[in-house]
Amino acid sequence: MSDQATHSHAGYRHDALLYAGTAEFVSRTSPFIRGGLAAGEPVMVATSAHKIELLRSELGHEAQQVVFADMAQVGANPARIIPFWSEFVDRSAAAGRSFRGIGEPIWAGRSAAELVECQRHESLLNVAVSQETPMWLLCPYDTEVLEPDVIREALRSHPFVTEGSRPATAAQGPQRNDLFRGIDASAAPFDAPLAPPPSGCHEFEFGMGAITTVREIVAASAYAAGLGAARAADLVQAAHEVAVNSVRHGGGRGVLRVWRDAGALICEVTDQGRITEPLVDRQRPDARAATRRGLWLANQLCDLVQIRSLRSGSVVRLVMNG
Amino acid sequence: MAGWLEGEPMYADKQLVIRHTVPAGGLSFSGILDIFNADSVASCLSSQLDGQGDLHIDLSKVEFCDVSGIRALVSAAETAGDGRRLVLHGLPPLLARVMTLVGWGDLPTLSLCGCSAEQP
Repeated sequence: MSDQATHSHAGYRHDALLYAGTAEFVSRTSPFIRGGLAAGEPVMVATSAHKIELLRSELGHEAQQVVFADMAQVGANPARIIPFWSEFVDRSAAAGRSFRGIGEPIWAGRSAAELVECQRHESLLNVAVSQETPMWLLCPYDTEVLEPDVIREALRSHPFVTEGSRPATAAQGPQRNDLFRGIDASAAPFDAPLAPPPSGCHEFEFGMGAITTVREIVAASAYAAGLGAARAADLVQAAHEVAVNSVRHGGGRGVLRVWRDAGALICEVTDQGRITEPLVDRQRPDARAATRRGLWLANQLCDLVQIRSLRSGSVVRLVMNG
Repeated sequence: MAGWLEGEPMYADKQLVIRHTVPAGGLSFSGILDIFNADSVASCLSSQLDGQGDLHIDLSKVEFCDVSGIRALVSAAETAGDGRRLVLHGLPPLLARVMTLVGWGDLPTLSLCGCSAEQP
């Protein structure tokens, strides 16, 4: 098996694994992990704390060779998961061998807004990792608890899929998936609809001269919403950077809208610009590069960032949960 | 940098004052460093970097600093040359975090001093 496992993914593979219930999760992922370990491959698993415990118990002493990460922490904001995998790729590629990952970004408790961003994340994983990268990434989806449309979207965002009771080993590996939307479509500007801002929300049109007012409005709203001082400062910083982006790259002006939604505080900045680089908000900036850092920073500071590039311009929503 | 005495201003605009500090060779920032004054501050800092030794900057009285402001510090540090460094003191916690997050927390010419911010 180890020969097949070693040679099975000379390039990048991004697979969906459809499983039914946690027992099947363990029985389906453990052969994949063991296959990687047998081939001497680095293996990292990011899933729920509960499933990590089950896997540790199944794998016994082999679990010591696996790097585990609690997806509820590293992937609370789904846009932080690609940088997380990128670090694993950089670390593992340095060792000069192929490697494996398991990443489960979608679970039943995800909010509707988080779910959409997780689905965008899954599509962008087809773009974020080059086809030459020798990583085999398995994304488990629990068909017992996830809605059918979530499973359908998983089929569109993964080039390979495996389902049924076959173990996901190299010998009986996942099958190419006809429903996959393709790499180009995965990178297309994201225009999934957002619920309109509530009527009567705080609205403020700004140019460069009013950036300071943008900060003041966001700070006052954060205070009124009862956000702690540190999180309020994070939100102010993120909103400032996004507003500066609007002035510099988005037609010189923007509109800030602020409202509360079920305990969360939402700051939206819209402008006339287009966001054409699909990974602009999830590539760790290089110290030397004159890259745009605002959207990256927003993702590191806020609980959720919803970015849309529409015909009419771009929308960036910063969400801070209460 | 607790205990630094401030000397005469060497730069001032509507939102930021930079003073020489005693002992000489340092600068103290108070106010806001952002997209509005980042370019002016960068050129002002370059003029301070033609001397000898490291340039120490106290940022403990900075109320807000954005990515443009950080870039001004980084570009000044990069032009320093001759093994000179910019040493930043008293970084407010969010500023230290933002510098690290945007990839500017670990430059050979820009050192972040772990010292705590000066208490008012």
